[in-house]
Amino acid sequence: MSEDHKETFITKYIFCQDHKMIAKQFLITGMLMGIVGMVMSLLFRLQLSNPGESFAVLEWFLGEKWAPDGVLDPNMYLALVTMHGTILVFWVLTAGLTGTFANFLIPLQIGARDMASGFLNMLSYWFFFGATIVMICSLFVESGPASAGWTVYPPLSALPEAIPGSGFGQDLWLVGMALFIVSSLLGGLNYIVTVLNLRTLGMSMMRLPLTIWALFITAIIGVLSFPVLFACALLLIFDRSFGTSFYLSDIILNGEALHNTGGSPILFEHLFWFLGHPEVYIILLPALGLVSEVISVNSRKPIFGYKAMVGALIAIAFLSFIVWGHHMFITGMDPFLGSVFTFTTLLIAIPSGVKVFNYLTTLWKASIRFTPAMLFAIGFISTFITGGLTGLVLGDSALDINVHDTYFVVGHFHIVMGISAIYGMFAGVYHWFPKMYGRMMNKKLGYIHFWITFISAYGVFFPMHFLGLAGLPRRYYTNSEFPMFDNLTDINDVITFFAIIGGLIQLIFVFNFFYSIFKGRKTVQNPWKSNTLEWTAPIERMHGNWPGEIPEVHRWAYDYSKPGAEEDFIAQNIPLKEGETEH
Amino acid sequence: MTNILIIVVVFLIVITLVQLLRVGDLLSEIKNVDNNKVTDKDNNAQAFLFFMIGGVIYLALVLWQFKYWGIHILPPASSVHGETIDTLMDVTMSLIIFVFFITQPLLAWFTYRYRRTKNKAALYYPHNNKLELIWTIVPTIVLTGIILYGLSVWNNITMSDNSEATVVEVYAKQFNWTARYSGDDNTLGKADFRKVKGANVLGVNMEDPFSKDDKITNEVHLVVNKPVLLIFRSQDVIHSAFLPHFRVQMNCVPGMITQFAFTPNQTTAEMKIQEGEDFEFTLLCNKICGIAHYNMQMKFIVETQEEYDAWLASKANLSEKLLTSK
Amino acid sequence: MELTINKNKTSKQLLWIGIVAIIMFFAGLTSAYVVRKAEGNWLEFVMPSWFLLSTIAIIISSILLWISVKRIKADKHSFIFIFITLLLGILFSYSQIQGWQQLVSEGIYLTGEGSNPSGSFLYVITLLHLLHLAGGLITLGVSTINAKKGKYTSSNYLGIELTSIYWHFLGVLWIYLFLFFQYI
Repeated sequence: MSEDHKETFITKYIFCQDHKMIAKQFLITGMLMGIVGMVMSLLFRLQLSNPGESFAVLEWFLGEKWAPDGVLDPNMYLALVTMHGTILVFWVLTAGLTGTFANFLIPLQIGARDMASGFLNMLSYWFFFGATIVMICSLFVESGPASAGWTVYPPLSALPEAIPGSGFGQDLWLVGMALFIVSSLLGGLNYIVTVLNLRTLGMSMMRLPLTIWALFITAIIGVLSFPVLFACALLLIFDRSFGTSFYLSDIILNGEALHNTGGSPILFEHLFWFLGHPEVYIILLPALGLVSEVISVNSRKPIFGYKAMVGALIAIAFLSFIVWGHHMFITGMDPFLGSVFTFTTLLIAIPSGVKVFNYLTTLWKASIRFTPAMLFAIGFISTFITGGLTGLVLGDSALDINVHDTYFVVGHFHIVMGISAIYGMFAGVYHWFPKMYGRMMNKKLGYIHFWITFISAYGVFFPMHFLGLAGLPRRYYTNSEFPMFDNLTDINDVITFFAIIGGLIQLIFVFNFFYSIFKGRKTVQNPWKSNTLEWTAPIERMHGNWPGEIPEVHRWAYDYSKPGAEEDFIAQNIPLKEGETEH
Repeated sequence: MTNILIIVVVFLIVITLVQLLRVGDLLSEIKNVDNNKVTDKDNNAQAFLFFMIGGVIYLALVLWQFKYWGIHILPPASSVHGETIDTLMDVTMSLIIFVFFITQPLLAWFTYRYRRTKNKAALYYPHNNKLELIWTIVPTIVLTGIILYGLSVWNNITMSDNSEATVVEVYAKQFNWTARYSGDDNTLGKADFRKVKGANVLGVNMEDPFSKDDKITNEVHLVVNKPVLLIFRSQDVIHSAFLPHFRVQMNCVPGMITQFAFTPNQTTAEMKIQEGEDFEFTLLCNKICGIAHYNMQMKFIVETQEEYDAWLASKANLSEKLLTSK
Repeated sequence: MELTINKNKTSKQLLWIGIVAIIMFFAGLTSAYVVRKAEGNWLEFVMPSWFLLSTIAIIISSILLWISVKRIKADKHSFIFIFITLLLGILFSYSQIQGWQQLVSEGIYLTGEGSNPSGSFLYVITLLHLLHLAGGLITLGVSTINAKKGKYTSSNYLGIELTSIYWHFLGVLWIYLFLFFQYI
């Protein structure tokens, strides 16, 4: 039942209300911003492993002002670190991951024509686009982009006299984030309402693919946590522009005592991390969802422990709201509070562990088909184990005393977000590319992309644990001012080496992606022989997704290699045979 | 000029790649073969690669790193509570390394062993509640143990009795540290940021009788085996006082007073023998605070009572230093 | 067979979840208030008497709006009720601004010399409520025009229903904030 409205270029590609096109808009914007964020990391890595040395490429990218004679300016170093974090956490891993896959997969996998409100969905993208423009503009501000870290703690982020990036650059950052939050909320509203109301006949909640569960729960987390960041940022805007003292107190800068009294920077930290922690699960859960699907399809086996997997997602989501204090163990908070947060934080290891064990059991006695997507999904398990385990060190308040804000933390969060979650995203792109574009991505390039990324990523981030245990703080422009760090230069060199290789190889992915959109081998109806509903929709995408009636669902999504079946998969819309029981 | 050259080269590389891919696709069309399809050959190759790279080599390199880079980590703690942290760290690291060296080999092995060959069927094994219970309950028990252990270490550190501790203030600002000794009364005089002026860099209220014997220094000396209570303030933005060798870290927050108590149990001299002549206990800033965040340092020296007394005696009292009648 | 999408149901759910988001926003702000208050250096003062008028205005407006929707469901005229609701909304806004001016005249400032976080919070939180109310006024305005045009019938009243849900929410939120500032 396609809609008979006249389509112009504008309504088809630009102000489109079709969820599939909006998904692609998110994906491509996310990818392009990802390139920007990644280049930033290469620039500051050059400085870190070769402090004070001149690099023509630095001056080429940043200009004479920010890299005079090819040496990175210390303020610009902090700006790059800040914007790298902001772009990768929010633009790539939140909007790029959820915005793409929630939009693309939810209607198709639950059997709906589109989202509950195509209009709100379209707005969600255009707020995101606006946020992107504002953030990009902030890079060109004369006093520099925001530089107080992606966590923008005041007073540093509130006072331009403390660091130049906290001038207009920080204003734009805050505006950009406000627009971003609105975009996320608009998207989240749609995802929740669509999953609750628009499931096709027979698609009960417990027949939903895990991907949908993950995206659904992610949206709930977002609706509950992003508004608090909005409040947090608003109070910061008031402190910056209207002279209030929510976060500022007892400050002397440039010899002048500021008028603010009564404010508390720790209040900011509480409000920020109330979002900040759930945020990392907003990043992780969609990746878990995508990986669950990719692993199951390519193992030709049901995902092990579907109910436990759903329960684990819910447990992780719930716990994610009561652990935020573990970012604040050394702020001087009440030690009892520290104990509470240690307790809740280490508890999150339990559902996370259940998921890992379930993935391993899914692979046991499987029949694994190694598509590039599957490699990334397996890589996800490897890195999620590695990164998750170091969380046990960081979550313990007593241990955190000596590793907080060191490279140990940088290693941990990069491995779980910068590798695991990104692998989930790559797996999703390689796997659903045929559905998005009707063509296949090149397999060999996919393999090359995976292996070089896998090796480089571990090469960059595993050594960081040792830097952290050696006491090396993060966000340092150079490590050469402290003799105690002199023997760490070898490790830093290795990290930069792999960072450059790993960064550059992503271009193969970008190339593969765009080449395949136009020249990729045309796909068949169900290239992965998957059970989920999206593969029953026509290859040439259409409004309303299915030409006739929407398929009715008769079983869960994981009947792979079911005994008694003719093929090793039974799609969700295939009715039960005579005498067959549903799982 | 170079820029144009770079753009041209990049452009040519992209074109080459495109053509290579086109050739590959055309060839496969001629041969009537889908060169993009995942074959058993692929499964064998990729599975083997993962077993070797994601399994054997990865684990070997992890061990290599522990051996060759593990020597760079901080020396054992030089404080009483620090030793308890180190033990907790050893236990926790042992636990996670143990889990790591079980799960990663399993992953690598399953990936290789269960690769798809000759259309071999998978096992339809959707759930097993007993297994789920096992790997929920066992981690819960283990984690409860670690949590209780961790909390006891934390409580000992944070709820220590500081009545005997020497009180020293550490004052952070962009971009250096200043220390203030509390003198014989072991009480710091009150301070207010509005009183920072001229030589009164810490804004001490000289009308407070406790301020008279305070001393301002730019180095901190401590007596070995004697407890000290560090009081932290900041003048401008959030800094963090990080003393890695003592396992001490505490944010310095403008508008707030924070503190951390510990007892150093190794002298600087002892550490110099152990770690080399250049060794110093160092205070670093560990919270992003501006352009020179990477270079905010202050020396901490742990010495005998006599050396300490001599050093402290050489420092002027605030009442003399400020020479005001206020 | 395909399930038909119930636009009434989904639109209302979308609005409700949006309302949850706004609740979390104010929860964050009022939590911040509580945390800050516990730290001392907190100037106590009474709420401006104008805010009492705000409360009465918004409660009456909700009652009238509720009556309007009821009448529409019974296919009766409701324009005048919706219009008065709108006027009361404007009265609410006016009384808020007067309340702020009353605070200023009593020496409670948002910022600058002599200001205190207790005042700053009150200004910011009530301002944000008013901004959300501005959105409500716009939808009320649209509803008023639609009611005049006779658009709403017993079988087509989704627009006014959504407006009224949001408006009642704003009223409940105001009552919460009013009591919160009064007693906490």
